[in-house]
Amino acid sequence: MSLIELKQVNKRYHNGADCVTALQELNLAVNEGTFLGVMGPSGSGKSTLLSVLGCLTSPSSGTVHIDDIDVYGLSHEKQADFRREYLGFIFQSHNLIPYLNALENVMLPLAVSKLSTAEKRERACNMLKRVGLPDRMLHLPQQLSGGEQERVAIARSLVNNPPLLLADEPTGSLDSATSLQVMNLLSELHQDGQTIIMVTHNRENLEWFDRTIYLRDGMIEKDSAGDARSFSKAV
Amino acid sequence: MRLEHIVLHNLRRRKGRAIFLVIGLLIGVATVVTLLSLTDAMGQRAQHELENFGANIIITPRSDALALNYGGIQLAGVTLIAKELEQSSLANIDDIPNRRNVATIAPKVLGAVEVDGQRIMMMGVDPAAEFKLKRWWSIAGRPVEQGHELLVGDAVVKRFNLNMGDTLIVNNQDFTVVGLLAKTGSQDDQLLIAPLDVAQATLGKQGQVSMVEIAALCHDCPVDDMVNQLQTVLPGTDVQAVQQVVKTRMHALGQFRLFAWGVAVTVVIIGALLVFVTMMGAISERTREIGIFRAIGYRRQHVLQLVLMEATIVSALAGVLGYLTGVAATLVALPLLDGGKASWQWNPTLAVAAVFAAIFVGLLASLQPAFRASRLEPSEALRAL
Repeated sequence: MSLIELKQVNKRYHNGADCVTALQELNLAVNEGTFLGVMGPSGSGKSTLLSVLGCLTSPSSGTVHIDDIDVYGLSHEKQADFRREYLGFIFQSHNLIPYLNALENVMLPLAVSKLSTAEKRERACNMLKRVGLPDRMLHLPQQLSGGEQERVAIARSLVNNPPLLLADEPTGSLDSATSLQVMNLLSELHQDGQTIIMVTHNRENLEWFDRTIYLRDGMIEKDSAGDARSFSKAV
Repeated sequence: MRLEHIVLHNLRRRKGRAIFLVIGLLIGVATVVTLLSLTDAMGQRAQHELENFGANIIITPRSDALALNYGGIQLAGVTLIAKELEQSSLANIDDIPNRRNVATIAPKVLGAVEVDGQRIMMMGVDPAAEFKLKRWWSIAGRPVEQGHELLVGDAVVKRFNLNMGDTLIVNNQDFTVVGLLAKTGSQDDQLLIAPLDVAQATLGKQGQVSMVEIAALCHDCPVDDMVNQLQTVLPGTDVQAVQQVVKTRMHALGQFRLFAWGVAVTVVIIGALLVFVTMMGAISERTREIGIFRAIGYRRQHVLQLVLMEATIVSALAGVLGYLTGVAATLVALPLLDGGKASWQWNPTLAVAAVFAAIFVGLLASLQPAFRASRLEPSEALRAL
């Protein structure tokens, strides 16, 4: 069963008289539990696709259903609730709040929930332990290495137990050893049944995905569904 | 972890901006508190003086004749037989509706007496009321109390070369000088002042008074109404309000109060603009942060709450510190402005109003930046996805 279903999605950006088409007539269905890699050259529409999936940028036309919910049919406030309950974001530049320590950063999505403070703290602690940072909870982001910051960001994206994890080049700014740690962690999550969609430039990451799509000019040029090996050769 | 934790952490992290905001509003609040406290203190001082020093209503017997003196200059050779008031009629003053506003009733009897072949004015007074009313009198010795005692005006002292304890024969009666009145520059210098009953007997005016001075508590009381009320209960008298000094002083205070409000409003507007500009800057600085909040599922109202909560905390702090600074400034300025006579008094209404006004101004100035922040589209704010 598809967790995500995009139909005839177009996204155009207008800049004065210029019109840039970021996504065109894009159709995509992603099953629950999939680790989907999104690749493509710069300007191919990868980030726009992630933004549309993340309920952050409404498409110019077409529909986006996640867990059978027409997400762009929701009001702004309901979209915010949807993001909080269904989506976890991992950003390339970590995007941690600099004045909050690791534990507080992880608790951030829970700050507006009705859970008790003890429950919030327990969830955040468990999540930091899960990503291997049990002893760095009270450190501020600037006191953490790049890899540790990425792991805090992953813990924050998971603390609400979202069905879908969206990652935008999470290894883009990391060295190869740290990248490997992060990909191992994401793979573990995937093996636990987490649906993950990850944008990446790095072809070395292909082996981690169980499905990869290659975008060009806002369209899916290649889709590895069912034939990952030939896809790998093709890209 | 709640929204207020994020706000407090942010304020701690951006201490410089928070302190700048607090100081901006604090100056406004302190200025308002100082100016209002000063005008209040001086107003109360003026009222206190009005209540305690001097009469502001004078009752005299009605006379059909016009006055034949001006500025102390008596038309030579002309004498008028003055009518008198019945002392017992003064009890009617208790019946006026504004009796509560009457602080002191000082009846006097006036008449000419002969001393050593010379005619001098004697004034009989109710010692308790008169000396309460004439607090500016400087007396060597003591005021008259009862019996044949005299308080002697400066001109009379010089004319007869009197000293304390001297005996003066007035209308063939012995009076003892118990007090010498220092020069006042008024007609009081020409008087022999005796207890009312003794003077009435000496002048042959038992049970009569020549005039009555009334001190009314007149900050807000309707003096004109009181004049009419007194006129009604004391027929055959002229009741006049001596309002010129009061009005001049109150007018000056009113002008100062107006000026104070003008300055206060200007300073508060500048403070509000400062908050507005700083908050707008803060929102721009925190655009990415707001994008993160929105991306992880914060509603617009949550972002609005974050900004307004921050403004409330900063403004409340500025209100409290501004009030305390204003009080300190008032305590320093009062002795310089009013010769140390006015005193500061704790005004809880002003304290509460200062804090709430600071919060109101802070919130008002932060509304637009807060709405701007809450309207930021997460994707625009982030630029990361």
